[in-house]
Amino acid sequence: MIDERQRALAGDFVLGLLEAPELGAFEAEMAASPDLAALVTGLQGRFSALDLTAAADPIPEGLWDRVGAAIDGPSRKDSPALDRTSSRKPPRDSRAWLPLAASVVLALGVGFIAGRSSVGPAPAPVVVAVLLDEDATPGAIVEAFANNRVHIVPLENFEVPAGKILEVWTKPNETLGPVSLGRFSSAREIDFAPAALPVPQAGQLYEITLEDAPGSPTGRPTGPILVKGLARLPML
Amino acid sequence: MTFGMQAEIEADASNALLQRAAGGDREAFSQLFRREAGRLLGVARRIVRRPELAEDVVQDAFVAAWRSAAQFDPARGNARAWLITIVRNRALNFLRDRARLDFHEPASLELLDERHGEAMHAFRLLPESDALKECLGRLDDQKREAILLCYVVGMSHAEAASKIKAPLGTVKAWVRRGMLALQECLS
Repeated sequence: MIDERQRALAGDFVLGLLEAPELGAFEAEMAASPDLAALVTGLQGRFSALDLTAAADPIPEGLWDRVGAAIDGPSRKDSPALDRTSSRKPPRDSRAWLPLAASVVLALGVGFIAGRSSVGPAPAPVVVAVLLDEDATPGAIVEAFANNRVHIVPLENFEVPAGKILEVWTKPNETLGPVSLGRFSSAREIDFAPAALPVPQAGQLYEITLEDAPGSPTGRPTGPILVKGLARLPML
Repeated sequence: MTFGMQAEIEADASNALLQRAAGGDREAFSQLFRREAGRLLGVARRIVRRPELAEDVVQDAFVAAWRSAAQFDPARGNARAWLITIVRNRALNFLRDRARLDFHEPASLELLDERHGEAMHAFRLLPESDALKECLGRLDDQKREAILLCYVVGMSHAEAASKIKAPLGTVKAWVRRGMLALQECLS
């Protein structure tokens, strides 16, 4: 049974007016309620009549080639999960939360940096990433510096069962693939100084997985992803 | 042949192409692109304004569509509406991200006027036989206007309020009540 509150949210959702955190909550509600999902799809179908009134633009030469190249090429931001040797928990459809992730990164990252820089003349990070969990809730902040130092601030208390460990990963480029930055056994602020890696780039993926202690046996992420996010350049 | 029948036949063809694409048929996906990309560029451009941004949006949307084609369920809607939803989401996300960056840059009145004109024009272009046209037509002018501004050109509540020159809370209430009335009318 769909109530008035859900109908109201469905209307805002179809108009593109819901923002985090209501957006994430409503998406979760839709995932749990086929009736609600059907209501939204139906409404979207009705409203698409307005989109069909848009005049078709000429399709630029090369646009299909770019689509084709992106499909053939290594997954970029559309498929951010690192190359995994096993996956107990497949990542959710990235469409739902990646754009959101980017905006949260932006919103949080800026405030975070601004707050820090007022404290002292600490060196500025090259990139900042806010790692989100499946519900798009920020779970950790990563700051990566030019000298390879990586600073992690957990925002949630990750549960680490006995015999398990938290492992932080990044993927500097396709050739290197996922690289372990370090491990830690409980959610606390921590610094890692991994071996020389390329200077971090905007769009670089960071994630934290839960591995068997003392760490992934393969050198690649094997356990479930707890949080992940793409790096952004801080505006300083 | 009526406009509606024509649209239905085209929609069926796109459904079939998307289902073949879900099975890995690249040629079907290329045909789907040629059929739909032009209009999707138009949909994206209404929201992001600049043609080169609309191209990025449509490119990303087709890559996402290829990767998630298996999730398309023709029983729940047609391929064209599915693609439109993907394009709209990406275009709106882009707009919201940019708004956060450009927070100190006030929206120009001319731009708001232009977007307003485009949104109202879309309503006039709806075929008379379309249920949405009928139901939107039954709403108070202000509610219809607010809904069209948000949907067609992707305005936020605040932008719509600034264009309509009404308090933000009032516009939010118009949109909500208008959308509830529309759902009632369309069901």
